[in-house]
Amino acid sequence: MAGPSLIPAGDFRTSYAADTTIFPTATSRNFAIAGVLLLCLVPQFMGGYWLSILIQIGIFSIAALGLNILVGFTGQISIGHAAFFLLGAFSSAYISNHAPIPVFFAIPLAGVVTAMVGLVFGIPAARLKGLYLVIATLAAQYILLDFFSRAEWFSGGSVPASAEPFSIFGYTLRGDRQYFYVVLAYVLASYILVTNLMRTRDGRALVAIRDHYLSAEIMGINLTKYRTLSFGLAAFFAGIAGALFAHYQLVVSQEGFGIERSILFLAMIIIGGTGSIMGTLMGTAFVVLLPEAMEWISLYLKGGTIDKALALSNNLTFLREIAIGLIIIVFLMFEPDGLAHRWRQIKAYWKLYPFSY
Amino acid sequence: MKTKALLSTASLALAIAAFSASAQAQIAIGHLEDRSGGTADVGTPFGQAVADTFAWVNKNGGVGGKQLNVDTNDYGYQVPKAIALYKKWSAPDAKVAAIMGWGTADTEALTGFLAQDKIPDMSGSYAAALSDPEGTSGKAKPAPYNFFYGPTYSDALRAMLMWAADDWKAKGKPGKPKYVHMGANHPYPNAPKAAGEALATELGFEVLPPLVFALSPGDYSSQCLSLKSSGANYAYLGNTPQSNVSVLKACKAANVDVQFLGNVWGMDEAGAKAAGDAADGVVFPLRTAVSWGGDAPGMKTVMEISRMSDPTGKVYRPVHYVAAVCSALYMKEALDWAVKNGGATGENVAKGFYQKKDWVPSGMEGVCNPSTWTEKDHRGTMKVDLYRTKVSGATDGDINDLMAKGTIKLEKVKSVELPRKPEWFGW
Repeated sequence: MAGPSLIPAGDFRTSYAADTTIFPTATSRNFAIAGVLLLCLVPQFMGGYWLSILIQIGIFSIAALGLNILVGFTGQISIGHAAFFLLGAFSSAYISNHAPIPVFFAIPLAGVVTAMVGLVFGIPAARLKGLYLVIATLAAQYILLDFFSRAEWFSGGSVPASAEPFSIFGYTLRGDRQYFYVVLAYVLASYILVTNLMRTRDGRALVAIRDHYLSAEIMGINLTKYRTLSFGLAAFFAGIAGALFAHYQLVVSQEGFGIERSILFLAMIIIGGTGSIMGTLMGTAFVVLLPEAMEWISLYLKGGTIDKALALSNNLTFLREIAIGLIIIVFLMFEPDGLAHRWRQIKAYWKLYPFSY
Repeated sequence: MKTKALLSTASLALAIAAFSASAQAQIAIGHLEDRSGGTADVGTPFGQAVADTFAWVNKNGGVGGKQLNVDTNDYGYQVPKAIALYKKWSAPDAKVAAIMGWGTADTEALTGFLAQDKIPDMSGSYAAALSDPEGTSGKAKPAPYNFFYGPTYSDALRAMLMWAADDWKAKGKPGKPKYVHMGANHPYPNAPKAAGEALATELGFEVLPPLVFALSPGDYSSQCLSLKSSGANYAYLGNTPQSNVSVLKACKAANVDVQFLGNVWGMDEAGAKAAGDAADGVVFPLRTAVSWGGDAPGMKTVMEISRMSDPTGKVYRPVHYVAAVCSALYMKEALDWAVKNGGATGENVAKGFYQKKDWVPSGMEGVCNPSTWTEKDHRGTMKVDLYRTKVSGATDGDINDLMAKGTIKLEKVKSVELPRKPEWFGW
């Protein structure tokens, strides 16, 4: 039963290139390509609601990917990721509104601006560890949010700022159906970029720091440089994602990007699997879909017998929040390695079927 | 092996179900409510009243024989959530005829989209920036599809300042009175700030630097100490009762002698009950001619509507509930006109608001204040009824009893009819 989808027994890799290949078999590569092609067709037959969810998953997964570089691959931590996301959003809106730069270029520029700010906030990270670092990044969150609420020239202060729709060479993309492709392109580019980054010298240095920083240092890895770099990278992807979000919503508001959103970004990578690139995407999908699923359940319950019997009515919305928290706890208890691990197990089950043991 | 993998992907694809747009013969309406966010205390009764009113309309035959299909959503006072919902409601295959909106931040964020998609939005935000349909005032962006029932935040504050100037004279106190704006750094409390401070200066007040306090309940002793040390005489409370009550209590404890002026959402029966004697004397504008249980022919309709969610008829409905019934019924009559004149499209519904002058929805006589909307001016009313909360005694126990016994009373102070000045338009 040795087909092209299975790795044959006794398959020894004799070069580093073969050992770090992204797709171990031709089938897995073909499936990935087919998956992307299938996604390209999605806007043709999917309703607006599902499309908007897919776009959200795409945008947030880029930000979560950045955080996973920091948390999953370098072993640092940040609870200020939402502030960088917002900085990217405001930067891109500001650049495209105030400079004769089309949105097409404003999005990567916003990523660069955010990365610069990220590097500044990354400086303490080079010296701090653990709980101390958590508090330092918490400060970043509050400093940036306070800046947004006061800097009227930049963010419009308390009034939401407006952002231009995505345009390229005089052609403007309108509506979710067209914007979906922009997000898809960015998701693909980001994921390919990071997957490859982890196969390079710099990527291995980051992983070495995570596994044991002292050993890494003895091996000659410049801790300060790589820790700051990973902060910059995390901020870069947060900025790109924020910019994409700004031009998707066409309005940038700082509401909903407080510390709770930063924690949610952490939840995405923890649920998906820290240090797993594929897991980042799964975790993001889970975190985006969970409140939606709870919304359907509460809509279903609303006015029903259970609702009446327990006199829930107004409390349904709060019940939703509680349920989301509970599901996350249960997940962490029974699935500590994240969805990526579960996915590997499912694949293994089917590969060995019916002789799994 | 390939087939198995293919099968698993096929089952995944099947799991993605499509939501079909049902309800062809119905009129779709989007409804944003805040039951869990920063303004949930007033958003809950308002949202309930909108839902009850449309349910009542449906029970009585709908609009022009068509049922209203109301999509009610708690958006938690968050702009991104409101935008996401708006995207759903403005999609070409499921476009709504109208929206019942809520907050200032989200309504202002949506204004441009509403104009582009031609969807009228009757919001819970009364920001003056939403009252200029053509942008002729030069102070706001055009907001041709925004409506709201009641005086603008700015006009309500102007009326209170005019009252305050008279009050100062009547009390015969020496010197200039001092005025201070208080509220969260958020579009809703900020909306009337500039207008209020400008008029206060004009009326001879000394304007103090604004004080910030969050939309959530908290410890606001430091704000009260600032009030005390600056010697403020009149303070505008820009937030909703849940946080205003915290300020009132803290200031009572700190023995601050200030006349508080609430915004239209700033005080209600529940707020007075929660604050107890600290709420005594707060002046605020009431959007309806009477409050719950008041003596007016239209109150019967309000009671009937209330029974949609409270069959016992025993629940006390605060001022926001009654105001929301008015808002929703204005929308209903605009829909009525649209159905009779070319169909319930957003464009027709907006025109429906322009058909009458000094207009009260049928069945609401004596409750809703007569309102007029024109293509050039969306300030529905310029009349501001000022009330004062009167709290005598302990406020524990059922709110029905407290209101019936008169432990909590809403006393009318003054009715101010503001002139439609062009320089007061749009801000």
